[in-house]
Amino acid sequence: MNYNLNKLTGQAEKSSNLSALKKLLQLISHERPTLMLATVIILINSTLNLLGPLIIGRTIDHYVMPKHYQGVIYWASVLLCMYLVALLTSYLQTKMMGGVGQRMLFTLRNAIFNKLQLLPVDFFNQNKAGDLISRVNNDTDKLNQFFSQSLVQFIGSIATMTGAGVFLLLIHIQLGLAAIAPMGLILIFTMLVSPWVKRTNAKSLKSVGGMSAEIQESLNNFKVIIAFNRRDYFRQRFDTANQDNYKTAISAGLANNIFMPVYSLGASMAQLIVLVYGVYLIGNDFSVGLLIAYLSYVTLFYNPLRQLAALWANFQTAMAAWDRISQILGLDSNLVNIEDNHAGDAETLLEFKNVHFGYADDNEILHNVSFKMERGKTYALVGPTGGGKTTTASLIARLYDPNRGEVLLNGKDIRSYDAMERSKKIGFILQEPFLFTGTVRENILYGNEAYKEYTNEQMKQVIHDANLGTLLAIFENGLDTPVTSGGDSISLGQKQLIAFMRAVLRNPELLILDEATANIDTITEKLLGDILNKLPETTTRVIIAHRLNTIENADEIYFVNSGEVSRAGSLNDAMDMLLKGKRVS
Amino acid sequence: MSQSSLISLIFKTIAQYLNKETQMPPEKPQTDQKKPPGIFSLLKPYGGLVALLLLFALLSNSINLLLPKIISKGIDAYTHHAFDIRHIVMEFSGAIVLIFIFAYLQSIIQTYASERVARDLRTRLSDKISRQSHAFIEQANSSKLLTNLTADTDSIKMFVSQAIVSIASSAFIIIGASILLLSINWKLALTVIAIIPIIGGTFFYVLKKVRALFIESRQVIDWLNKIINESILGAALIRVINSQQLETTKFLEANTRARDFGLSILKLFSGLIPIITFTANLSVLCILTLGGHYVINGSMSLGDFAAFNSYLSMLIFPILIIGFMSNIIAQATASYTRISMILNAPDMKDDGTITSSIKGDIEVKDITIKYGQKPVLKEVSLSIKAGTKIAIIGPTAAGKTQLLYLLTGLINADSGSVEFDGKTIGSYNSEAFHSQVGFVFQDSIIFNMSIRENIAFSDTVTNESLEKAIETAELKDFIGSLPDGLSTIVSERGSSLSGGQKQRIMLARALAVNPKVLLLDDFTARVDANTEKKILANVQLNYPDLTLLSVTQKIAAIEHYDQVVLLMQGEIIAHGSHQHLMETSPEYVQIFNSQQSTSNYEL
Repeated sequence: MNYNLNKLTGQAEKSSNLSALKKLLQLISHERPTLMLATVIILINSTLNLLGPLIIGRTIDHYVMPKHYQGVIYWASVLLCMYLVALLTSYLQTKMMGGVGQRMLFTLRNAIFNKLQLLPVDFFNQNKAGDLISRVNNDTDKLNQFFSQSLVQFIGSIATMTGAGVFLLLIHIQLGLAAIAPMGLILIFTMLVSPWVKRTNAKSLKSVGGMSAEIQESLNNFKVIIAFNRRDYFRQRFDTANQDNYKTAISAGLANNIFMPVYSLGASMAQLIVLVYGVYLIGNDFSVGLLIAYLSYVTLFYNPLRQLAALWANFQTAMAAWDRISQILGLDSNLVNIEDNHAGDAETLLEFKNVHFGYADDNEILHNVSFKMERGKTYALVGPTGGGKTTTASLIARLYDPNRGEVLLNGKDIRSYDAMERSKKIGFILQEPFLFTGTVRENILYGNEAYKEYTNEQMKQVIHDANLGTLLAIFENGLDTPVTSGGDSISLGQKQLIAFMRAVLRNPELLILDEATANIDTITEKLLGDILNKLPETTTRVIIAHRLNTIENADEIYFVNSGEVSRAGSLNDAMDMLLKGKRVS
Repeated sequence: MSQSSLISLIFKTIAQYLNKETQMPPEKPQTDQKKPPGIFSLLKPYGGLVALLLLFALLSNSINLLLPKIISKGIDAYTHHAFDIRHIVMEFSGAIVLIFIFAYLQSIIQTYASERVARDLRTRLSDKISRQSHAFIEQANSSKLLTNLTADTDSIKMFVSQAIVSIASSAFIIIGASILLLSINWKLALTVIAIIPIIGGTFFYVLKKVRALFIESRQVIDWLNKIINESILGAALIRVINSQQLETTKFLEANTRARDFGLSILKLFSGLIPIITFTANLSVLCILTLGGHYVINGSMSLGDFAAFNSYLSMLIFPILIIGFMSNIIAQATASYTRISMILNAPDMKDDGTITSSIKGDIEVKDITIKYGQKPVLKEVSLSIKAGTKIAIIGPTAAGKTQLLYLLTGLINADSGSVEFDGKTIGSYNSEAFHSQVGFVFQDSIIFNMSIRENIAFSDTVTNESLEKAIETAELKDFIGSLPDGLSTIVSERGSSLSGGQKQRIMLARALAVNPKVLLLDDFTARVDANTEKKILANVQLNYPDLTLLSVTQKIAAIEHYDQVVLLMQGEIIAHGSHQHLMETSPEYVQIFNSQQSTSNYEL
């Protein structure tokens, strides 16, 4: 399955603003009551704000012009009361709409994170970590900008604009239409340039993602760059990405900045129209006071529009970001669970039946592999590098599903187990150990519910009972030794020790060690071997290693080469096969 | 006063904080740091652009200030029955067309200037980073450097694109409008201008209160991002353990706190907006009552009355903009301080001048390296003759990798010295040095480019040396089996290659420079015994004069080496030939015995 986000084609790319927005709004369907109430408050607030100019205009006509100062004071008091009410509605408006925005962002972040957790390993192997992180962090930030500012603004602006439009038309229909006319030009202009703006922004975001990925790769591997004296490599790669980013950012900036001057021009044109046409109308059914009010309404009508312009660009960026995120949200795990009601087989813990597998469709790695593994035995997978050992192990742990054939666990298709049950039964120590930033304790107990509440003292006892005490002693501050996820703060061997302890403490029925001790010295490794031997009798062990002493105690040795798994009778046979066997790599 | 524009501005301020500052890891105050050059000094090379930017901004704004005047004149002309329509239309149209032109030019220059500043700054940063030492990168922390290159640069970009123009324009409008108001009617003008300090004061007061919240929320966002990053980098482990639920719970906790911070910040701002609007509205009332009074008693014209309203709405915005921009400047300054720390970091001292070729005699004298309090290497001394083979053996965390890092100059010793051919490692020109010392790292580091580029990583590699390296590392068959051969692109973390293939590519990379000295860090850990044997024989054959230093776990492979060094907890416990160690070092014998049972299979 294609999980490469940069090579995905299809609906997400083409989605229109409207459908993208709809999908977004589905995320907050439960906010409907709040939204309704907020809408009412926004209406009241806008009406109050909009009545102001009209009252002032009327006051000018009826009291200032005829020089009735009492009336001026009276209407001023009315205005004051209105402004006081508006003080409250304005507070509620911001608070409620802003709240919706914050909660929406919350829901969205959760949706993305949940989706990431649902997707299989395949997804993470096909995408660069830097690009993924940029999508999840930067693109949600773009949406954050939209939610935390634009949503309130959007609604507020639209309410003010609509209100002002209504007043313009109610006061004088012809003058109103004339005043709104430039708006039509603006709309047409906006519709014409929007696709371009969105496109350039999407490109710019993409190149930002590319640049971050570039930086991350180079910085994380800096020691190679130094040791091979390729400091220029970093510079060159970065310069290319930087230049690309510069170009796309300029196009995006030019596109985003085009709205403002055009919108201002439209607003000014409307003012001119009102002034000229309004003055012409005065005397018939129009007055100076109304003209002044009218000029205010034009400002009230076009000012939000200018805000909407800024908002629109913002909205476009957010939608481009949303497209990139919904690409992730649109993906589904290719690991589907199925029903299997076969009776279990007590003896055979694991079986491969005619398994075919390849990471990409056109490149099959495992060809028609069949073998059985019994409960309580130790199996070794040996073979030249690139022969398919890790791939076989990954299929046992169901990081991938076979393209054809089936993997049976206890006689039932492995796809019929729910993930919790499966992962309880199968432990897998990966070739590249991964640690979470935290302490040794947090890492060896990671995802292990059994010992969660244990104190350090109790934990030490558990570790001692599992024969892991000597391993823990290697860490300076024992369980509390701090470790970080990246960096060279502890050695690869130590990371492997933590991964080993983590897996053993989970007490799986089947434990796979994929070169899990490769960087550990032989004395410690012998210790690990002893620990493995002391695991409960029913535990099945699958060991992938190049050091033959780690596999000498295997009950059964499988020789994995060229995507085929065959049985090697003894260690000597395996050696023969290794030495004489045809090599693919 | 348009409320929506006010809301817009205030929320921009929020977003500004949340999006820029939050991405910066909390910084300890750098008290001993000498004050970095102000952020404005950054603009020096772009003086022309900035001047042009300011010119256009001031031009469009000053014409903008005149618009209410034109309208007011129109109204007055009408009341005096002297309305000249053509004159008004001409004046007004001319003004708005000019505003349009200047505003558009300004936006173009703004984009170019800000992007150029950002690009150049990134180039300077990357150039500087690329010339730093390994220790510097480790200490500066790659994710922080990533922030410097992205978020920090963006906040400076924001400074150039918005702050400069906005502050100049706003100050201009406030002063200009105030002067115009005062010239119309100074008494009324004073009551209107009185709102400037009130609104400004409230705004700054709330911002200051909110700042504390932002700093806290920034840590929450850092925490949130860390969870996301680790869940991506540790995806395989999470799936093996089926701990997705655990990760989701962690994330939910962080996300909930982030939302709660967002809501409390929002609460403060929801109070601010009505207060500002209300103050502005009070001023509208003042104009109505006081201005109305002046119009009634004839001391002010109706047109001027209308102009007052227009200028009032022009006034409030700039006050807020200045407040808003002061944040952008503060953030940009903080970002620039961080960036300057990188830019002003002392250059790696590369005063080495020796470019002559290395024979391969290595002398390590009394080396001590400490990480914090903990010594990694303790007074290690070692003497290696050119062309010999030496193995370093020892348990996990003995300091083996550090010793190799020391020999390539990746790290420096706290005391002691390293000499190649009798000259200290520092006296060699680093380019010349690295082209003669090959290093195979323990962890697989594969770049996202073709296999050819990965192997011929150093630019001194010729076609022949590339061929020889590929053959030696037993990669020929593998590469031959790929449809695109050497041009096959391999992915970032090398996921499409097996562990052994990655390591052999790394060996080929080191051999391709035709090194005089080859340092192997546990190279054979992921290569099967058969291939390993072939590779070592190839190395012997194709690079006969090589001085080889190999960190390894397997004694069998190194029995015939000229010298074996046993390293434990940073100290050399024993060294000598295999035979010698077997006779004198109980620790060595213990390791030997732990491998003995199968050593005959390893050949």
